Parts: sequence; structure tokens; C-alpha cells
Amino acid sequence: MAEARALLTHPGAVWQNIKDFLAAHTISSTGGFLFLLLTIFLFWPLTAMLVKSISGPEGFTLEYYREFLTNRYYYQSLYNTLFLGILVTPLCIGGAFCVAYMTTRGPVRFRKPLKLISLLPLAAPPYIFSLSLIVLLGHRGIITMAFNLGWSIYGFAGCVIAQTLWLTPLAYLMIENSLSSLNPNLEDSAANLGATEGKILRSITIPLLTPAFLKAALIVFVMTVSAFGNLAILGGRTAFLAPDTYSMIMGEADFNMASVLSFFLILPCAIIFILQAYLIKGRGYTTVGGKPVAAEPRHMGPAILIPMLAVSFIVCGLILLTFGVIGVGAFTKIPGIDNTFTLSNILNLLSNEVLINSLKMSLLAGLVGGTLGILLAYVIVRGKFRGRSALEGISLAGFTLPGTVFGIGYLLAFNNPPLLLTGTLAILVLITAFRHLALGEEAGITKLQQLSIEVEEASLNLGASIATTFRRIVLPIIFPAFLYGFMYVFIMAMIGLSAVVFLITPGTQLASVFIFNAAIWGQMGLACATTLKLILVVGAVLALLQYLSKWTGLSVTRKG
Amino acid sequence: MRKLLISLGLVVCLVMAFALPMCAPAPPAEEEAPPVEEEELASSVNLYIAAASPDVAADMAKFIKEKTGVEIRQQFLSCGELGAKLKAEAPRFSADYAMHVCSPEAFMAKEEGWTIAYDSPAWRGVGEWKDPDNALFKLANWSAIPIGNKELLAEKGYTMPESWADFLDPKWKGQIVMPSAVSSGNGYQLLHAFMTIYGFNKGLTGEAAEEAGWEYMKALDKNMHHYTRSGSTPADLVGRGEFILGMTQDGAAQKRIEAGYPLVYTIPEEGIGWGGAYAFILKGTKKLYTCQKVIDSLGTPEYGEFVAGLGYTTKDAPSKFYKEPPKYVPNMDEAWAVQNKARLLDEWKDRIGRVAE
Repeated sequence: MAEARALLTHPGAVWQNIKDFLAAHTISSTGGFLFLLLTIFLFWPLTAMLVKSISGPEGFTLEYYREFLTNRYYYQSLYNTLFLGILVTPLCIGGAFCVAYMTTRGPVRFRKPLKLISLLPLAAPPYIFSLSLIVLLGHRGIITMAFNLGWSIYGFAGCVIAQTLWLTPLAYLMIENSLSSLNPNLEDSAANLGATEGKILRSITIPLLTPAFLKAALIVFVMTVSAFGNLAILGGRTAFLAPDTYSMIMGEADFNMASVLSFFLILPCAIIFILQAYLIKGRGYTTVGGKPVAAEPRHMGPAILIPMLAVSFIVCGLILLTFGVIGVGAFTKIPGIDNTFTLSNILNLLSNEVLINSLKMSLLAGLVGGTLGILLAYVIVRGKFRGRSALEGISLAGFTLPGTVFGIGYLLAFNNPPLLLTGTLAILVLITAFRHLALGEEAGITKLQQLSIEVEEASLNLGASIATTFRRIVLPIIFPAFLYGFMYVFIMAMIGLSAVVFLITPGTQLASVFIFNAAIWGQMGLACATTLKLILVVGAVLALLQYLSKWTGLSVTRKG
Repeated sequence: MRKLLISLGLVVCLVMAFALPMCAPAPPAEEEAPPVEEEELASSVNLYIAAASPDVAADMAKFIKEKTGVEIRQQFLSCGELGAKLKAEAPRFSADYAMHVCSPEAFMAKEEGWTIAYDSPAWRGVGEWKDPDNALFKLANWSAIPIGNKELLAEKGYTMPESWADFLDPKWKGQIVMPSAVSSGNGYQLLHAFMTIYGFNKGLTGEAAEEAGWEYMKALDKNMHHYTRSGSTPADLVGRGEFILGMTQDGAAQKRIEAGYPLVYTIPEEGIGWGGAYAFILKGTKKLYTCQKVIDSLGTPEYGEFVAGLGYTTKDAPSKFYKEPPKYVPNMDEAWAVQNKARLLDEWKDRIGRVAE
């Protein structure tokens, strides 16, 4: 009898032991678990890709690298790619800074409209810019015909314009965020003491914004060289690494060469990432800056005001023009050929189906990405185990490395049992969540660093478990970071192309890929209409979130 | 520290577990269990389709849905892309069957053992339209043809070229687009036609014949603005007036002309090339019965007539696109084109595709 009881309680005792262990090491074991996840879904695909670049039919080989290094075409491709990045990055940062300066320090009546317009493109797929550029500036474009221009939008210049227009809003988002959390008192004091606006900009504003500039520059550079939508539509014969990688996989299934190209695409991104991390080190002072204060517009000399306003108006004007073209194109039978009004593009059933697929995938990705983001943040800030910086480093990899690289990596890594994921919606959710979780994580880290650990310690001392403490104390504080991460992953999932394009199958089509293909195949009306619907869906979800967060009293708009 | 070691160990084990099988040569395809006989139609099947253009593909899917009640979830691809997709996915395909696949890709699929044979009652007594092993079903023949933008030609006072040689006139510099031979079946058919016209039909053989084809291609390249991914794209670009001339599939041109694009086509005096389009069931499908029913429906004269209306020449009817039967390039050897594709595309990359400016 006693024996039987012992046997009965035994499993319970084991379970108790496990529970005790987990309670004592919650953070460390969560950290270990996250480390495992990141390894599988970020590190492993990269490894798989790199392995592929050095494995030929007879095992190890450097043949593919030799081919890359001896063919002038690839040099040109690499050169074009780098040159594009180097050209677009300062253009975006410059433009974004002008707009951000105007929406935070400029004339009050322009602030709201400028801000709204410049955030608009964030909810749209990037390649809408090449669509509208063709409609406006193609060989038979509206502007080309009106002014009888004899130039071609196809080629390097067109790519620069499209990528700049697309990425300026992203740079704006980051710079504006920093600029509005800078306390304007410092600038006002300088102004009162007689400093000119130019002097203030030079000696106060710009130096304080350097970390934001660097961060934005990193993201703009990576996105410019890796997002191939615009490049594939407008590039013509100009060689770029990302679209070449894409056509190598899609057109030839040449995984070896595509992996080599990916390696050379990773290289500059990694160098820039390290450089940025090095430069940003010890410049943390802006993050502890004051709360955003609505600045009274200072008197600005026309020498500063007019060029900045001009740049802002040009940027916003071009954005509005682009969206106008998309809006009109959506209701036109064949834009430019048969300009009769039609609803058939909007009512297209197939595009509704892919939109629903996209929505499902994006919401799931947002949930997974947002959750992992704050868990990572918590573990990194509060954990005491070693390797936390490694954890942060790996999670940033998804963010800083090109999407095409991960697309190919996932295709290679998850096409075999036991992790056979290709052809499922899950692989799309995973790649999107893991690639974009870093933003929510960063926001979470910032939030947690503002919260003194003493509150949590008090809770623990009073007998609450770590889980309870997390739920009751940490969660309410970290929730805005979760929402921020969720929103970012969600948007990227809705509009992203460069990674998922390799992974979709007949059953798992996505709206972003659908629009890209429609554009490539010349179904302009359908492309415009689907884009419009996509923007509306993204807008609706964001508005709902905004409303919910207001209703629950948890603000999302500020991460700092 | 111990935890760090443990997790590091885990990571190493994991990477090894995945990385080692990858480095090893690919294992031979597993012995497939005989597909289960099912009696009921599935509600949908997944399809890879390389039709003339996406809207042509959509028409076909609609037709099949009407005839069989099966919903076709399709992914439109160019022929080269479809072949690449099969290569990348083998032996686990995301589609249940494929259709309107160009000859090189269809025969590759059969040779690699990626197809499931099916003795369809609808495909008996059709002669050369079905392969003797019941693996490939030839749906149609199609051609890549030259097209031009009516309005632009009139504006410039140019007329449509009457021969392939006319395309080399320097006045067309930067005004022609054609599909890439690598990703598009149209592009490859054009290359094949050029080699036949300027090589084999001029009495040359082997390398000399190919060289003559390359010579023409190189000269044409001087006028080419760029090479598109899909064979249907030039129809759109020329139709919208982005370029004056282009080469595209007859079915794609027909669709655009019907929609009201100012397109004209021409049959050069040397003739146009042609090639086959096939359907086949992909190994590993869990919906074999449904696929077989779909293949049956593709064998009906009704489908043949319907597809002829989309610009294809089928076993049941000639293409309705051409007002009179077009002149085809004589002696187009499809078997040769199938056998030599991989090698010719490597050369294409060296001579046309990946050449620094």
C-alpha cells in the first residue's frame, strides 16, 4: 500500500522538482529557450545558405566564389548595388531630417499635414513608387508626354528615385521620433542667447541626433540594397545583386551562385552594422532626453526655413502624386490605354483571397514577433546569465541582413524533415516574425531600463513568483512596447516582399507578391487596386490598435 | 556559466544535426508508396501553370472549375521559373499538377521521375499529342511572335519589320524588348528559332549552326533595351508604348489586342518558331484521383476548342489568333531544343545575360 502511494506521488514529485527548478531559474531558462529559437530561425538559415555557397556536387568547393570574382558582370552588380546604397542613404536622411525638423519645429499649420503625408508610404508596398514612376515618367508617361522629355526612367537613375521616395518615410519615422523627444529648451536657450538657427542646428540639434541618423542610415542602406521590387521593375539592364539573386533562384534554381551573391550582399550590411554600433557607442545621451514637449515655433530665418520647407513640400508632393496615381489607376480599365472607369479591378476575387491570406499571416506574425520581442527584452535587461549581448546581437541580425538572404536561407534550411516547413503558412509567419522582432525588443529594452528593478524586487520579496511579477508589474509597463513591436511586424508582413517571395506556394499566396507579379506582368489596374485595398486594410488595423490602446490607456505612439 | 555551456552545446548539436546531412550528397529519392485510390473529388488542387499570360491562365482555371467542379489554386510562372521551382522543390512539390509547361521542362520532369503516369480514357487515340508512357499530355502548340505598337510606329513613320533581319536596323536601338531565355520559354524558343533559321536551315550543323544563331542574337542584343522575366511582359510594355517593338507569346498578344491595346503583330518572312505545352501530374500528390479527372477534362475536344480560342493550336483546332495559317520556321527540332537547353542557357549567360556593359 505504502509502496503504491510512493509510486503514485513519485511522478508528482518529479514534476514538483521541475517546477521548482523552473521557478528558480525562470529567466535563465526562458533565455535559453529564446536562444534556441533564435538559433533555429535566424542563425541556422544563414548557416545553411553559407554552407550552400561552398558545397558543390562533389563536396567542398570555392568554384562559385571564383566565378563571382572573375566575372566582370558580378563586379558591376556589386558596384551598382553599393553605389545605389551610398547615394540613396544620404538623400533619404537629408530629406527625412528636413521634413522631421519642419513637423517638430516648423510652422504649426504645416506640421500635422506634412507628418501624415510622410507616414503614408509606410503602409504601402515599396514598389508602388516604380509603378507610378512608370505611369508618370515612362516613355509614354503623363509627365514625359506633357513636357516632351527625352529621357528614360529605366536604369540607375529611376532606381535611385524610387528607393529614395520609398525609404525617406522610414528614415523620417526614426528621426522624427528622436527629434520630438529632444527637449527644445536647450535650443530655445541658445536662441535666446543670440545663436542663429544655423548655429543651433550645427552645434546642438544635429549632434544630438547623430545616433538616430546612424540608425536610420543603417536601415535605409540595408533596405536599399536588398529590397528588389523597385530595382526589378525599373532596373532594365542595370545589374544589382538583389534582383540577380532573385532571378537566379526563381529562374534557374541556382542556389549555389545565389548564395554567393547573398554573401556579398551580407558583407556591406554587416560592415555598416558594426561601424554603426561602434560609432553609436557612448552616444547614449539622447535616449535619456526629456519627454516630448510641443515646441513653440521659434522664429526661423528664411535661409533655413525656405529650403527645408521646399524639400518637405517636394517630398510630400511626390508621395501624394504617387498615391494619386495608384488611386486613379485602381479605378481605370487599363491606365494610359483605356481610361474608362471600372470597378472590376477593385472587385477582383483573387486579390481578396490573397489579402485575407496576408492578413491572417501578418496578424499571426505580429503576435509571435511582438511576444518574442518583449520576452527577449525582459530577459536581456533583467537576466543575469552571460551571453545576453550575444542574444541581442543575433536578434538584430534579422533586422540588419537583407530579406533575400533569409528567404533563400529558409528555403534551404526548412525543406527537409524534421523541420519541413516549406509550403506552409507557418514558414511565412516565422520568417516575418523573426526578421522583424528586433524593433519591439529595442522598444521593450528602453521601457524596462526606465523601470527601476526595485519595484520588481519588492514584489518578489513579498512572495510573488516571477510569473506573477511579470504579469502584474512588468506587463503593464512593457505592453506599449509589445504593441509597437506588433505593429511593426504586422506592417512589414503586409508589405514585405523580398524574403517571402521565395516561400509562397499555390495555397499560400500573399498580397505583396500578388501585387509585384501583377505589376511585372503588366496588370497595372489590378496592381493599383490591390495596393489600395492593402493600404486600407493596414490603415484599418492600425486605427483599431490606436483606438484600443487609447481605450485601455496604453499609448503606443512613443516608445521612449 | 554552466547554462551557457549547456545552451552552447545544444546549439552545436542542433547545427551539426542539420548541417551534416546537407553537406552529404543528396539521398536517392525515396521509394514512393503507391498512391491511395480515392473515389471522391477534392474541392481544390494546387497548380503550377506557365500559360501565355496570367489572365489566360485565369481563363483556363475558370474553365476547369466549370467542367469538373474543382477549384484550381494556381501559381502562374514562366516556363524557366516553373522548371526551377520543380528542381528546387523535388521531391516534395507544393503543387498537385502542372500545365502548359514548355517542352524542355516537361521532358525534364518526366526523365527525373517527377510525374505520375495515367492512362486517361480522354487521351486515347490522339496520336502524338500524348507521350507513349502516359506521363505527358500535350495540350497545345504555341509560338513567340514579334509585335509592335501601332501608335508609336505611325508617330515615327516606321513600318513593322518584315523579316527577322529587319530587327537589326540601328533605328530600333533601345526600342525592343524580349523575354530572357533563362526564365522564359518564349525567350528560349526565339533563340532556338534563330539557330534554326540562321544555322541548321542554312546547311550548317553542330557548333557552326549554333554560332550563326548566336551571331544574330548578339546583333539583336545591340538594339535590345532589356530582357524581361516573363514572356507576357513585352506584350504589356509594347502595348503601353514603353517600347516600339517586342517579342511575346501569341496568346499574350491576343489577350492584349482584345483588351484594346494598340498592338500589331507580324509574321517575319523566315517564319515563326513553335513549341509544345504539356500537362502532367506531380509525384507525391495526395489528390491523385482529382488530378486524373482534371487531366480527363483537358483531353476533351471542348477544352481543345476553348484553348484554340485563347491563341493556341490544339489537337482539336488551329489557333483562332491568326487570320490565316502563319508560316512556321521549317525543321524546328524540339528534341534538340530539349536536350541542349541547359548548355545553351549557360552560353546565354556568358554571351548575353551576364555581360558587363
